[in-house]
Amino acid sequence: MRVSTRTLYALSTRSMNNQRSQLLHLSQQIASGRRVVRPSDDPQAASRAVQVSQAQAVNQQYTATRVSARNALSMEENVLGGVSDAVISARTLILEAANGTLSDADRASVASQLEGIFHTLVGQANATDGNGRYLFGGYQNNAKPFVTDPVTGDITYAGGNQTRRLRVDASRLMSVGNTGAEVFEGAQGTHGFLAVADSGNGGSVTFKGPNVVDTTDPGYGTPFTVRFGIDAGGNATYEITDGAGTTLQAAQAYTPGQSIEYAGLSMQLDGKPVAGDTLAVDQAKNFNTNLFKTFEKALAALKSPVQDEADRARLRNTLDNTLSKFDNNLDNILMVRAKVGSRLNELDVVDKVAGNRKINYAQTKSNLVDLDYVQAAAEYSMRMVGLQAAQKSFVSMKGLSLFNYM
Amino acid sequence: MSIFSIGLSGLNAARNALYVASNNISNVNTPGYNREVVMLSEKGAGRGVQVADIQRQFNRYVAQQLNAANSRTSGLEAYHGQVSQIDNLLADQDAGLAPLMQNFFSAVGDLAAHPSDPAARQGVVGNANTLAAQFRSFDRYLSDMTDGVNGQLHDQVTQINNLTGQIAHMNRQVALAKAKVGKAPNSLLNQRDHLVAELARHVDINATVQDNGTYNISIGNGQPLVSGNRHFKLETLRSDADPTRIAIGYHDSGGNLIELTDETFSGGTLGGLLKFRDQSLIPTRNKLGQLAASFAAGINQVQTAGVDIEGNAGQAMFAVGQPRVYSNARNTGTASMSASFGDISQLTSSDYTLQVTDAATGTFKVTRIGTRQSFTATLDAGNQLHLAGVTLTVANPAQLADGDTFELQPTRAAAGGMDNLIQDGSLIAAASTSGGSGNNENALALEKLQRQDLVGGAATVSQAYASLVGDVGNQTSTVQVNLKAQQGLSDQLTKVQQSQSGVSLDEEAANLIRYQHYYQANAQVIQAGASILDTILRLR
Repeated sequence: MRVSTRTLYALSTRSMNNQRSQLLHLSQQIASGRRVVRPSDDPQAASRAVQVSQAQAVNQQYTATRVSARNALSMEENVLGGVSDAVISARTLILEAANGTLSDADRASVASQLEGIFHTLVGQANATDGNGRYLFGGYQNNAKPFVTDPVTGDITYAGGNQTRRLRVDASRLMSVGNTGAEVFEGAQGTHGFLAVADSGNGGSVTFKGPNVVDTTDPGYGTPFTVRFGIDAGGNATYEITDGAGTTLQAAQAYTPGQSIEYAGLSMQLDGKPVAGDTLAVDQAKNFNTNLFKTFEKALAALKSPVQDEADRARLRNTLDNTLSKFDNNLDNILMVRAKVGSRLNELDVVDKVAGNRKINYAQTKSNLVDLDYVQAAAEYSMRMVGLQAAQKSFVSMKGLSLFNYM
Repeated sequence: MSIFSIGLSGLNAARNALYVASNNISNVNTPGYNREVVMLSEKGAGRGVQVADIQRQFNRYVAQQLNAANSRTSGLEAYHGQVSQIDNLLADQDAGLAPLMQNFFSAVGDLAAHPSDPAARQGVVGNANTLAAQFRSFDRYLSDMTDGVNGQLHDQVTQINNLTGQIAHMNRQVALAKAKVGKAPNSLLNQRDHLVAELARHVDINATVQDNGTYNISIGNGQPLVSGNRHFKLETLRSDADPTRIAIGYHDSGGNLIELTDETFSGGTLGGLLKFRDQSLIPTRNKLGQLAASFAAGINQVQTAGVDIEGNAGQAMFAVGQPRVYSNARNTGTASMSASFGDISQLTSSDYTLQVTDAATGTFKVTRIGTRQSFTATLDAGNQLHLAGVTLTVANPAQLADGDTFELQPTRAAAGGMDNLIQDGSLIAAASTSGGSGNNENALALEKLQRQDLVGGAATVSQAYASLVGDVGNQTSTVQVNLKAQQGLSDQLTKVQQSQSGVSLDEEAANLIRYQHYYQANAQVIQAGASILDTILRLR
């Protein structure tokens, strides 16, 4: 075949151009460390890399969210630790005060210690996070969740009844707090039922219990009232009524120290009643469960002087109730704390999983778009040889002209 | 017969042959030059030699094949040159849209963790601003490319008109020369063939040679560009269907300007540019718009379902460019249409042509541009059409006329008009309607959007962006592969063409030596004649 001079030059330059552009591409890859410099280098890989990056970013985002969640939960955990310690100390003080040998002055001193604990607790209940947001405010975390009524001095919960949840992983929304109501008004635990003596009782009836004896009793769980009376013979009686005063069990003779049993519960009663004295029995959760109100009642009882048997009975009943309620509150607080702890544990587990995922994603992305340097370097030197060969052959071909011999 | 005249004829032929060889050598680098060969023949019985012809080595069929191949090659080159720019735009993984969408969502995640923190709120605002700006700048890049393509179309048309004008002129020159001396000079033919080859690079043509040697050149469906010594001009014009689109118009022999469809041109730089615009640029811009519109609608829906930090109902966060609809300039009716977004999950990245099939009932044939799928749609009681995620309203259906067409571009303008309407962080609706400073339910819902199939009801925003990247990458790499193959074909044909018409310096050097010897030999013949004559003259 005839080969024109232009073809010779064109072929050589084209081959050098090709080699050079391939070298350029390789050097771009080497400089960027990426096999896929532009989407056209490997469209599928480029497209998947976008999605892997998205997965990476989301993983990263959840990791950041978990940091927030851990901060919030750890802070709550700390506060709950303080709260449970405070309740335990308060319980000890109440036990101390229940000692019948204490004088009014002794009790006043206990009361002042208890008051100190009370104020600490109120402070804890209104604790804030680093940003000034109330820990136990629920959704209403920009105002004090526990407010003191300026007139009555009662402390009530004014926060929200929902808590913030955070997405700590793709399919896990985690509560990162508890409302004040959940922590300080929750009644859980050993004392499922409570008996409360009416504050207007004039007699000296005290009680122990109630204890659950028969959960299969048809009346089990329903509230009732033990109402004392004096019969025509001047002997004390008791009857059992419902809340409205309707008789559930007719009046019977009452002997101090006797046990009564009703609706699957048993109570031991002692002391002398006067007619019209009552004891209300119900599930603990249906009585006041607000820790602060319990404190207030206990404080009021401790501060009032004990002059007769009736006062003594009132004090004793109140302190007994307080102890039961403290126990219930404490159980509740410990349970909340345990839940917080388990969530913190869960965060650790998720962190570990996310850490593995992070490595996997990085590996996947690297496999998709990153350069195999060894291969690239080898190819680079191979192309270099190719280009040099093309250049050499061009130069030597240039010398091969008949005109050189004329 | 004299030995002198025989020698002289040889000298003459040798000189001619040397001229041809030197001419070949001097034109070795001249584009469009075809090698010439001296054809010698006997002058007659024993009367020496004569130059029968100086033949141009030109093979019309090879030239036509090469022109066609070059036309396709330059079309692919133009396409590749343009689509690589989009490919490059998407190359930077750190500055693309994907990381900015990720940043936006992670700012929202941060807001969910700290719903009342002004810094977290401002973080969302800042990221929303950056994201909206990036959507706009992406769209601006593509719209600048559209302007660039329009400008290039104009240049191409100008050059094509120049070339066809010159070819028509050459046709005339060739005819004149033929009439005068019976044969056109080779240089004129070379020039004309070269012009045709040049023209083929700009637009795919069909060239036919008439009996009288003139070239007729036509494009596409047979519209003549050159016919004898006349040429017909192309012109860029605003498309009837969409005044923002530049189309190619054709001046026919009657002096009418006719809009040609883009499909008329399949090769040449002109065809490559049009193909790029229709198959890559517009679809990419539409997909970007679809992504922007879907993303914005998703965010706005959640944002308006919640309440801001003051407890007021949330406002829309992102604005996007509304769908566009154009009445065809040739419509006989005067009805006008307006368009707005409807059910976003139905939104596609296609454009649509709506043709009135029955004006009385308000029935349209809707054709999806690109796939050519079509369906029928009829105006509802509110004079509205609901299709492809768009609500179209006809202002006055009585003004519709059968055959009128409208072009709907649902998402073309969306990304360009993207803006963040919320600049005050406190307006972000992080809370559900129950409110509260610690309420983050709506922020969680916003954050969750990144995992929801917002785009066309089938893909998350990140998947949609990934598919955009994949599509552009595929198109670019397909064009690259095609270009390489086509380039090989062009090279192969160039080699064939050059093997016939190209000058080889070695060959010409050999010819020089050969014809030099030839000349010397003939001079020797004359010398011999002279010495014979001398011998005879010396006889006394």
